[in-house]
Amino acid sequence: MVKNLILFFLGLLFWVGIFIVFFRVLLYFQGIEAIGDILAAKLLSMVFLCLFSILIFSNIVTALSTYFLSDDLGAIISYPISFGEIYFSRFIETIVNSSWMVLFFGFPVFLAYGMVYQPGPSYYLMLIAVLIPFFLTPAGIGSIMTLLLVTLLPARRLKDILILLSISLFVALYIFFRLLQPERLVDPEAFSGLMDYIASLQAPASPFLPSQWAVDCLSPILLGGKSNLFFLGLLWITGLAILAIGEEIFSRMYFEAWSKSQEAKTAKISRSKFVNSMLNFFVRPFSPTTQALLIKDLKVFFRDTHQWPQLFLIIALIAIYLYNFRVLSLDKSPLPTFYLQNLVSFLNLGLAGFVLAAVAVRFSFPAVSMEGKSFWIIRSAPLELKGFVQTKFWMNFFFLFILAEILTIYSNYLLNATRFMMILSAVTIGLMTFGITSLGIGLGAYFPRFKVANVAQIPTGFGGVVYMILAMGFIGLIVILEARPVYILFMARLKMASLTFWEFLEIVLSFLGVGVINVLAFFLPLKFGMEKLSRIEDI
Amino acid sequence: MIILNELTKKFGELTAVDRLNLTVSSGELFGFVGPNGAGKTTTLRMMAGVLKPTSGRIIIDNKDLAENPLECKKIIGFIPDNPFLYEKLTGRETLHFIAGIYKLPQDGLEKRIEHLFELFEIDSWRDELIESYSHGMKQRLVMASTLIHQPKVIIVDEPMVGLDPKATKMVKGIFRSLCQRGITIFMSTHTLQIAEEMCDRIGIINQGKLIALGTMKELREMSGLPAKELEAVFFRLTGEENDIRIPRILETY
Repeated sequence: MVKNLILFFLGLLFWVGIFIVFFRVLLYFQGIEAIGDILAAKLLSMVFLCLFSILIFSNIVTALSTYFLSDDLGAIISYPISFGEIYFSRFIETIVNSSWMVLFFGFPVFLAYGMVYQPGPSYYLMLIAVLIPFFLTPAGIGSIMTLLLVTLLPARRLKDILILLSISLFVALYIFFRLLQPERLVDPEAFSGLMDYIASLQAPASPFLPSQWAVDCLSPILLGGKSNLFFLGLLWITGLAILAIGEEIFSRMYFEAWSKSQEAKTAKISRSKFVNSMLNFFVRPFSPTTQALLIKDLKVFFRDTHQWPQLFLIIALIAIYLYNFRVLSLDKSPLPTFYLQNLVSFLNLGLAGFVLAAVAVRFSFPAVSMEGKSFWIIRSAPLELKGFVQTKFWMNFFFLFILAEILTIYSNYLLNATRFMMILSAVTIGLMTFGITSLGIGLGAYFPRFKVANVAQIPTGFGGVVYMILAMGFIGLIVILEARPVYILFMARLKMASLTFWEFLEIVLSFLGVGVINVLAFFLPLKFGMEKLSRIEDI
Repeated sequence: MIILNELTKKFGELTAVDRLNLTVSSGELFGFVGPNGAGKTTTLRMMAGVLKPTSGRIIIDNKDLAENPLECKKIIGFIPDNPFLYEKLTGRETLHFIAGIYKLPQDGLEKRIEHLFELFEIDSWRDELIESYSHGMKQRLVMASTLIHQPKVIIVDEPMVGLDPKATKMVKGIFRSLCQRGITIFMSTHTLQIAEEMCDRIGIINQGKLIALGTMKELREMSGLPAKELEAVFFRLTGEENDIRIPRILETY
């Protein structure tokens, strides 16, 4: 009950956050003369296009599960039910599963438009009338595409490919969007001619897509006019037509596609000898048991395609993170550059810590749970749980430490931070990595989820939330404790004065506090995690 | 070789295993039978060191499992009822992994692994990912992984589930051969015919309690059915002989 409440409130927080951001952006647009409404329409167009793209991919992946991979399908197909009936019943399941989250987190955007432009109840009625066919169309397209793809590729491999493709597309779109520097859209000075600028805004990006038709239905109402029912008709006709076409296609081809999906998946051959030799070489310094655990964990990790989307996303986010430092124009700030560089460098410590925590919740927290139902092998082996957990810790620490130092040192290099800040940041983030990793592995052992089919779901539970709260608290505490001594040292340098006795004592006590917290954060989670893990009976 | 002394396991209010006492000698193939939910799997998991008893002792080769868990586990091979393995490893990698955690020397290991693949007739699949194995093949791979460290005691839960007749015959032959070499096998099974065919002695457990123990001859005498097969003896001893629910239900069908 408590877990569900916490998750509910987090979701609500995110929902409110989206609403606030869009509300403020739209208010800002409303204040821009001549082009403000055009900008708002352009933004709505981008939102609908984005939603449409997400819905297409989401429906393809969901349709694959509901039409081909669901466990009950074998029984259902044996019943006297037509394939058309199966199509419709599963269609409802597909559209609900693929669309509810898009609708939930998209609705605050539409609400923000309603609150800013205050068009009256007709806007909301039109919104319902638009959204129904808007969700129908990608669901129908997704289902048909899935059917066609399954006839060409094995269903089980197809799921992995589609997930990777969708994440790759998302990552590419995200990087592309960031590199476009969309903030330039609100800076007309970036364009040589005003007419060029307005023309570029007014042109619809995709006139033949349902996303643009949805905008063409809603925009006139938002601006106080009447809706263009032609586009509403177009949306409904398209949605219903695709539904009917889908039913016809499924009636003819579903059984053949279903039979193909039951074929055994292609077995993979062993990895190359070169990779195995490399692995054996790197683990050689360790004991035989540790070697076995490390090799097993690395192979399972890199072969599990559920992990790849997260890896891609993390790489993209880190690239954007570092890119932001590259384009940060500190010289345009009214504050002294030296002060600002080092202030940002210090705050970067917290940011890097948060990035590390976000990575750890995805990879370190699930480390113990990734044993899955095979955990009985570990429990029945002559292997101390302590050694098992410690191996998990050091393996994760190694990768997180490298990431932490790269993030911190490179971002400080881009900021031209002082040598003192470079060293302080590198040492602090290095020490924090112990605590962040320990919290991940320890809490992962304390809240294991061995029966989850998809490892990507492990961090989304109650234990993952607890981890993030504690990790954020730990990082925040370290940053706060170090803030005072760093401030004292910089002020002393700026004033070219030496430290007083009390200032020196304050610095020593602060760093001592940092040390104590790091030690506690390292030992306690692992200790409690191991104790809890040894008591688990339901394996 | 195996001594269970007042072994008890409770899950909250439920007593899954109730003061179990029995001894299994070296080289014996002991069958552990009982209805669903009788406490068989719970007993076997406690013996394998996967589950902690509420009370009582488990002695393996004169060592207390609670006091010397690592020493005992070194000589135990456990085959669970559900052969969950690391799906993203190949068969060969799995055996290497098991060999690693049992700290087996590298000398002769590769040859031993090949021999086990041939023994269980899964050599053509040794370099394929386990996710492509059928249930029966996984079961065979688990058995191979259990033998790699040459245990003195094998604890096996429902070994024949998912095996085809050929594989069943193969496993029976392997188990008998291992017992002849002095290895002790403690096996639970639903299939009474298999217990009757294979086992030197049989223990019948019901609702957590050991209600009968002995050779087939002794069990027949105990039940008062000297000429009957184990099934009839089993139903007599577990009190399920006169179950008339099925005819009553079918009357209204």
